[in-house]
Amino acid sequence: MNLVDFLQIWIIAFFTLSLFSFLYKDNPFYKIAEHIFAGLSAGYYVGLIWHSVIIQQMIDPMLNNDKWWLVFPGLLGVLMFSRFSKRFSWISRMSLAFVMGNTAGIFLLSELHGKVLPQIQSTMMSLNPGQGFADFLLALVIVVGVLSTLIYFYFSKEHKGALGKAAKVGIWMIMISFGAHFGYTVMARISLLIGRVQFLIDDWCGSIIQLF
Amino acid sequence: MNLWLILAYVLLIAAGIFLLYKAFKSGDRRFIYLAVAFYVIFPVLITLHLPIEISPEVRQLYKAVESLPDSATVLLTFDYYPSTLAETEPMSRGALHHLFRKHCRIVTMTTVPLGGPSIAERVTRNLAEEYGKVYGIDFVNLGYKANYVAVLKGMGSSIETIYPTDNSGTPLSDIPIMKDIKSYSDMDFIYVVSDNGIVDYWMSIVNAQYDIRVGTGVTAVMAPRFYAYLQAGQMTGMLGGMKGAADYEMLVNQPGTATKGMTAQSLVHLFIILSVIAGNVVFIIEKKRKRQGAKV
Repeated sequence: MNLVDFLQIWIIAFFTLSLFSFLYKDNPFYKIAEHIFAGLSAGYYVGLIWHSVIIQQMIDPMLNNDKWWLVFPGLLGVLMFSRFSKRFSWISRMSLAFVMGNTAGIFLLSELHGKVLPQIQSTMMSLNPGQGFADFLLALVIVVGVLSTLIYFYFSKEHKGALGKAAKVGIWMIMISFGAHFGYTVMARISLLIGRVQFLIDDWCGSIIQLF
Repeated sequence: MNLWLILAYVLLIAAGIFLLYKAFKSGDRRFIYLAVAFYVIFPVLITLHLPIEISPEVRQLYKAVESLPDSATVLLTFDYYPSTLAETEPMSRGALHHLFRKHCRIVTMTTVPLGGPSIAERVTRNLAEEYGKVYGIDFVNLGYKANYVAVLKGMGSSIETIYPTDNSGTPLSDIPIMKDIKSYSDMDFIYVVSDNGIVDYWMSIVNAQYDIRVGTGVTAVMAPRFYAYLQAGQMTGMLGGMKGAADYEMLVNQPGTATKGMTAQSLVHLFIILSVIAGNVVFIIEKKRKRQGAKV
């Protein structure tokens, strides 16, 4: 292990332990780690955007490939800075209007084509018991689940009688879904802890052992 | 199995139960943190291999990659931040092992600015060396570009317009592998490894509009959301969290950090189940006591 790798491991270990120290209580080490992370991220992000967007996708094509028209999107970007002035902040709305119109156009198609239609199609399942018990049960759960959950979110009529009972089934479906989400969230958070512990034990402790 | 190892794990479980009791008695949640720390640290130090049952959605993704022809072109994304490396990096490594072994041509990219480009560079070069693959011929790293919607949409018509150069600034026209990869239509499969909502756009923009198969590896927090895509047949397989990564490591026969972490994962899950049950039992008992107290 060379000196750079060694230092890198120790810096990572220091910040990992500083952040973990918050579990005991708030302290200066935690604050230092938090502030350094925020500052570094902002600096890195500015540098990356400057190089990969401003230089590579605007200035270079304008100067080298005669794409002079890129000055217009560039100008729209500059107009966003008018938000810093109370008097001229209305100018930034032109850029925002462009972004909103553009985004709405792209998402209208992609949401409809990529989500709404295929998802509706996939809930139109055959409830024929002849297809085998397991397939029938799966289809039944999906059809009942979708319909009852949609009924739960129908607020134009009071949830009473048959509508109320169907809405109750909908709540149960939503609760089961929350349970699945919670289980997966626990797994995710524990995975992150395992990753840090693996680093501290394998890499950091490994580097200490190498010292002796 | 080693008797001492069994004894050690029995002691560990007993310690967890004791700490849970202390937490309930004192109301101090730090006892629970301590128990979780024990359950995570101990299996990392002394490994006990619990069996891993491979999930059908992971097998589906494995089969999809396995069915690709040799030297197929695959776009592998590194759409994740360093904070989720424990879950996502084993997925990327598993995917690279599989793809390099099949001699696929790999194009890597990221839509995540912080860490994404360097993680893609480090992980891919590391494994390429192992398989004797050459940069520019067998694989290329396009790096990062801002505004993912524009990137995903633009790559459908011209990759070079979105990425004039690779991650290290070499023009794409000078990179041999990119000579006949101009857009999604020149790719056979997209393997998205992600820790954020970008997966939705890979499905709704790229899969739906360019009709290219997309398989994903996502963090556990996100996985339940994407089962809808799997059920609808839009997504070709999915790795969900560390469990999905461990399954894939088993399938490609490269057990790594995810497989190693699964014992700790199982122990902590058992502890949490126990805590939830114990918490509810204590809650019911206290409620009954209060009722009886009110009657007296």
